[in-house]
Amino acid sequence: VIVAAWICLVAPLAAALTITLLGNTISRRAAGYVATASVLGSFAAAVVVLAKLWSEAPADRSHASTAWEWLTAGSFHVGLRILVDPLSVFMMLIVSGIGFLIVAYSIGYMDGDNEERRYFAYMALFVFSMLLLVQAGNLVILLAGWGLVGLSSYLLIGFWHDRPPAVAAAKKAFIMNAVGDATMALAFFLLIQHGQSLNLPDMFAIGPGHGWLVNLVALGLLGGAIAKSAQIPLQTWLPDAMEGPTPVSALIHAATMVTAGVYLIVRTSAIFEQAPRVLELAAGLGAGTLLMAGLIALVQTDIKKVIAYSTMSQIGYMFVGAGLGAYGSAMFHLMTHAFFKALLFLAAGLVIHALAGEQDIRKMGGVGRLMPFTRIAFLIGSLALVGVPPFSGFFSKDSIIAAGLSRGWYGYILFAIALVGAFLTGLYAFRLYLIVFPGEPSPFVREHLMRGSHAAGMEGAHARSEPGHEVHEHKGEGPFSMTSTVAVLAVLSVIGGFLQYAPLWHPISDWLDPVAPPFALPTNTEEALASLFAVLLGLAGIGVAWLIYGAKRWRVPKLAFSQRLLEHKFYFDEAYDAAFYRPAVWLAKGLGRWIEGPIIGGSIREITAAFREAGLDTSRIQTGLVRTYALAIAASLAVITIVFVAVR
Amino acid sequence: MRGPDIAWYLAVSAFLFATGALGVLLRRSPLIILLSLEIMLNGGNLALIAFSRLHGESSGQIFALAVMAVAAAEVVVGLGLIVAIAQKKLDLDVDKLSFLRG
Repeated sequence: VIVAAWICLVAPLAAALTITLLGNTISRRAAGYVATASVLGSFAAAVVVLAKLWSEAPADRSHASTAWEWLTAGSFHVGLRILVDPLSVFMMLIVSGIGFLIVAYSIGYMDGDNEERRYFAYMALFVFSMLLLVQAGNLVILLAGWGLVGLSSYLLIGFWHDRPPAVAAAKKAFIMNAVGDATMALAFFLLIQHGQSLNLPDMFAIGPGHGWLVNLVALGLLGGAIAKSAQIPLQTWLPDAMEGPTPVSALIHAATMVTAGVYLIVRTSAIFEQAPRVLELAAGLGAGTLLMAGLIALVQTDIKKVIAYSTMSQIGYMFVGAGLGAYGSAMFHLMTHAFFKALLFLAAGLVIHALAGEQDIRKMGGVGRLMPFTRIAFLIGSLALVGVPPFSGFFSKDSIIAAGLSRGWYGYILFAIALVGAFLTGLYAFRLYLIVFPGEPSPFVREHLMRGSHAAGMEGAHARSEPGHEVHEHKGEGPFSMTSTVAVLAVLSVIGGFLQYAPLWHPISDWLDPVAPPFALPTNTEEALASLFAVLLGLAGIGVAWLIYGAKRWRVPKLAFSQRLLEHKFYFDEAYDAAFYRPAVWLAKGLGRWIEGPIIGGSIREITAAFREAGLDTSRIQTGLVRTYALAIAASLAVITIVFVAVR
Repeated sequence: MRGPDIAWYLAVSAFLFATGALGVLLRRSPLIILLSLEIMLNGGNLALIAFSRLHGESSGQIFALAVMAVAAAEVVVGLGLIVAIAQKKLDLDVDKLSFLRG
């Protein structure tokens, strides 16, 4: 088990190093194959681990392995330790499985980019970081993986480093994540200070009388989780992160990165359960995010940003689930979300690829006529996202919503918000679908797709493709590596939900039970009620979207104020700008003008001037005449001699 | 073996040292100054050896040998400088060689 787990962890790292060190000696395509093969190897190793664990008794399904002592300070030891248990295997499978499909897709998508090797090295590094995060055997290693995920997301979001918005978005993502990293590190310091073992899973028996302590620790962890998972109030980096290549968005949103926050909460549920208020705060933030993201998604005009906001919204559901104590449901939703969100992104990538990098849905329309396969894939993804049975979202989302019913008045509020969110999901998902796919092709689409010679496929990257390099040997929807992965994901999005149907069978909840026993257990009646409401409202959302964008019977309501509010994303960016950026600039300018200039610079100028004066005065003594020096020496010797003699 | 008294040796040593010192102070030619320096050093050497014989110890003589070695090295440097000055066709006069004035 342990060997397979290490292989799973190290394979992508090895690929990243190989591609980096070999440099130009391997072809671009080979770099892609190396990365893909390594992630596939990880997936195979994860499957082996799963099979081994499956054959063991549920209570024994936890194995730790320490490679070497990594850090020692007094009585405090940290080993490079990995842990294999049901939860980490679950995440390993998702990360490496979805990661493999996305990396394979990238071979087609990035074909012709100038820096493919760098891209694939980063992708492998990203998968490695995420695997390190989920396999970490203690919190320090987890934090290391956490930081590496932040680093690789920075590198990939800013992959097109000659585009200023991409660089700005990368910096923003990194800084937002750094806030979360800092709070997490502070939480760990508190744990270390109080002599807690940071090893997973045995930990956190904080004695009674430390109520404030456990609350602080839980708050710190929550800070890390919301930063990585893009929840209120640290959510602003996620939509900007769409500046990266589309497969990167898919990787960030589906397999890695944003799911890390949910994973962290489930992983450290022992701490969170000692701080129930913080857990409720997590659920509340999730509910707020899912509502807000759903509203913002209604007015976005960039195909990727709509999907990005839907991710925020879905992660909000997971936070609600985890916050209410329905860990199994949250992780299940994490999995199905990985399927259909990767599907949506990659299908959107097909469209973007075919339209030469155009992402504005106002220019699209009728794409489905010319790309029927993509249309079906996108439709499946949207249906799964909305949670229409029997697609996968139905099974997982409704369990989370049902969990609200079993937790008192606070749960009811969350239940109501989650239902509104379901309606919004139907509305924005099908707004996107109906604008882009059905109907007559728009002139713009016709121009790109009918000629069959769409220009270089990269987003806004015409200039980047090599001269004379034919990007499009393929016709129509995309090369095999792209369409086949989309097809696999579509199948997964359809059947993935049948893994668990809460009222009847629940293997995932059972599987995760030894790690994080849930304490929100909705009854079957509540499940049925939640499903009924959620599906009805989701369908209502679809219906409204159809009336507005499909049949065009209703007009888009004109509400100038709310539209402006939504288009500015509830003014979060502006608020942060005013609250942090401007004061920092003022402070820096003020310090520069009043402290740096007169006090620090002035004192240095004064001191240097004084030394220069003293030096000039002293230099007059240096006449340059050797004999005067000699005379001075002789005279002073004579004086000293006389003094000696006199004193004796 | 009895020789002259220690006072004689010291007198000669002091005379040599004073001669050298006056030469350094009064003469202008770098060459002569260098010569005078050597005389000063040898005055010192003479005193060292005299005291060494008086006390029956050899360390003073060894020290004198060391002084000679250093003096030889110093003459090499000094003569090298003088040759360099002569090649530049400058006056061999220390009062005119005052480029290092502050």
